[in-house]
Amino acid sequence: MSADIESVEAFTERARDWLATNLPSWDDELLDDVVLQNRIFDGGFGGLAFPPEYGGAGLTLAHHKAFYETADELDRQLPGKYWVSIGMVAPMLLERASEEIKQEFLPQILRGDIVVIQLLSEPRGGSDLAGVMTRLTRDGDQYILDGAKMWSTNAYLADYGVCLARSDWDVPKHPGLSMIIVPLDRNDDVTVRRTRMADGQMGDVCEEFFDGVALPATNLIGAEGDGWSVAQTLMAHERNQTAGVGFGYLGSGNTTVMVVDRSALAASLAATARARDVLDDHSQQLADVFVDSIVTKLTSARIMRGQMLGTHEGPWGSAGKLLGSEAGHRAALASLATTGADAVVWDGDEISVENAGTAWLLARSSTIGGGTSEIQRNIISERLLSLPREPSFDRELPYSEVVRNASKF
Amino acid sequence: MQLELTEEQEALRDTVRKFIETEVPLTTVRDLHGEPDGFSKDWWREAANLGWTSPFVPESHGGGTLSGRATSDAVIIAEEMGRLVAPGPFLPVNVVAAAIARFGTESQAEAVLPGLAAGEAFASWAFAEPGDRWSPDAFETTISVSGDKVNVAGEKAYVEAAGVADHLLVTGRGEAGLTQVLIPARTPGLTIVPGRSIDMTRRYGRVVLDGVELPATALVGAAGAAQPAVEYLLRLALTLQCAEMVGVAERTLQTTIEYGRDRFAFGRPIVSFQALKHRVADMALWVEGAKAVGEELVRAVDADADDAGMLSSVAKVHIGRRCLDIVDDCVQITGGVGVTWEHDIHMYNRRAAVDRAMFGSPEAHRRLLLTHIERQTPRGAVR
Ligand SMILES: Cc1cc2nc3c(=O)[nH]c(=O)nc-3n(C[C@H](O)[C@H](O)[C@H](O)COP(=O)(O)OP(=O)(O)OC[C@H]3O[C@@H](n4cnc5c(N)ncnc54)[C@H](O)[C@@H]3O)c2cc1C
Repeated sequence: MSADIESVEAFTERARDWLATNLPSWDDELLDDVVLQNRIFDGGFGGLAFPPEYGGAGLTLAHHKAFYETADELDRQLPGKYWVSIGMVAPMLLERASEEIKQEFLPQILRGDIVVIQLLSEPRGGSDLAGVMTRLTRDGDQYILDGAKMWSTNAYLADYGVCLARSDWDVPKHPGLSMIIVPLDRNDDVTVRRTRMADGQMGDVCEEFFDGVALPATNLIGAEGDGWSVAQTLMAHERNQTAGVGFGYLGSGNTTVMVVDRSALAASLAATARARDVLDDHSQQLADVFVDSIVTKLTSARIMRGQMLGTHEGPWGSAGKLLGSEAGHRAALASLATTGADAVVWDGDEISVENAGTAWLLARSSTIGGGTSEIQRNIISERLLSLPREPSFDRELPYSEVVRNASKF
Repeated sequence: MQLELTEEQEALRDTVRKFIETEVPLTTVRDLHGEPDGFSKDWWREAANLGWTSPFVPESHGGGTLSGRATSDAVIIAEEMGRLVAPGPFLPVNVVAAAIARFGTESQAEAVLPGLAAGEAFASWAFAEPGDRWSPDAFETTISVSGDKVNVAGEKAYVEAAGVADHLLVTGRGEAGLTQVLIPARTPGLTIVPGRSIDMTRRYGRVVLDGVELPATALVGAAGAAQPAVEYLLRLALTLQCAEMVGVAERTLQTTIEYGRDRFAFGRPIVSFQALKHRVADMALWVEGAKAVGEELVRAVDADADDAGMLSSVAKVHIGRRCLDIVDDCVQITGGVGVTWEHDIHMYNRRAAVDRAMFGSPEAHRRLLLTHIERQTPRGAVR
């Protein structure tokens, strides 16, 4: 770290002054996300840890963290729609994309003028991401994309996606993959459909269908066959995102952080339980919501500190993601149980979703989305604790053969 | 659930299953979500013709049992309903039918039972009170008798199918103790506040009783003497509910295992991963335990055995808890599609969550059981 960088303390003071005068509070009239992000960027606080040549401020992740913490401390409005684009895709592009792509995309992403999301999971499976079946076929100086993606968060409001696709079926699964940028605002050969969730409401997640989409070869991120390693970079940022660390930490601008403070929830459930005269029945469970909340937050903060100090190397984001999402699931069950019959029944003819019962229907979203708890446990045991890996059935063979073999398992 | 069924009961199970599969499959359940009553009255009449409302109604009034054991017959239907989260006011109609047949007067039986048995009329038990109160000790609704009149005042909540009910069996406190009355839904002073639930088809309502005056002939059983009836009806409701949850849990687990055999990750079926297999094994045993306790409860309720109350609480604790656990873990095993509208499992989660809450939560029944446990003679307590 060079000596001429502004100290985090001085920066925080500067950020505090700027935030207080330039961003409205959450109690004020809500501003559009684009307006907010434009303002942050134009004020010199966009892309804080990105280099100046790509529109960044050339500071560090510590400055980045301080900015968002201060914004939350001052209860300032932060934009909500950029957490994938700015929190995950932008740092991936910084690390992996060509100079041309970085110069073209990063300033626009960081200013909030465009949104780029990820196109990874497919209807056929999300855990085994390297098993994707979307086809990328070389055709002269362009590629043709065919297939379907699912679970693409915010695709309905995005301009581009970074898409993981299979470019070679005759090599094993990982080297057969490539990552490429796809424009999503074309309606002839790209279809984007929002997914209706178990609560009956439209989700932020979407399904996409690609029907012979022609893309210039320069849209590749990394070389052909580098797709898996680029996806790894993306997923590391995703885990940081859900754990609320690194580039992914965007304060209240990201409501998908799973490591959240649930002490207020514990308090309101305790009040509910007392009013309903069932506190005795739920006291242990409700105290655990509180304890989980504190332990999870401290663990995540410790991991973040460790990452900066260098004591926590490797996929520690999985730990925060696992702890936070499982704690969230337990809290949802506690809400359901404590609110009893009133969690599932209400007055009136209208379908209501504002109740603990409906929330329960989505309680597994966070233990599935962003990589399931099972997959996080595999990562922690095999990659963090170096336990022996499961025998593999699909790593060495050409992928076309793996697909054939699977049906005979 | 019951290991030994009579031939007639097996036939009932098969026809109920086929009837549900063809008349109210899951696609229909989805459509009914938007309907105010959550079921079609024409369809209910057909269900009644197949015997859904018969078990607790004497033959003389249009009902009858197949096995001589009404509860044993009824849980066959309840379990099948759980398997496909079927619609219809099965529990409230049968519980009120049982109440009238067993504790009502002959003229009440004549007035009410034929309609219920034919599927032409509807009834529900207005039992619990707002704030999740399922214990009669906490009831505030009063039923007072003066001369040949009965006055009812109070509020009842979580009344299933209240909106379509023609008759409401109301439990309240009288001068002499717990008392029950059967009130026609269109009685002055009785207001039904319609309500919904997270279940796709199950509707509830609140019943507000303000200055309701009825002839004394509305009493079901003597004033102040309803305690045994209330205990019986509560056990019966829990039995039907638990049988339904067995159906929910078993079907969800089966479907999920089948899905997991065909779903591949890392070149193998997902159910080949030990992390999932162990959970599936636990869940299969929870289902087996649920059936074991459910079956025992049916026996006890039909025989009016001394342990029926205790067993109903044990069943609610085990089944109420594990059914939801099973559906919940099956969502996890199903992966992302398990939290979408398109996948059927949310309909099972909805039913499991509603069943868990009604007629006392597993937590409430644990508390009841503790009273029972502490009455046992201890072998030596550790200080
Ligand atoms: C709310 C939500 C948001 C999402 N957002 C995004 C997004 O923005 N971008 C994106 O690309 N995806 C997203 N996803 C998709 C998500 O990443 C996948 O759902 C997830 O990875 C699981 O994939 P799957 O649903 O195909 O389940 P499957 O991969 O079919 O897994 C089924 C079950 O098998 C288990 N399993 C699989 N492999 C193993 C193993 N080796 N050991 C033990 N168990 C195993 C899984 O844990 C799971 O329980 C989102 C999902 C949800 C629910």
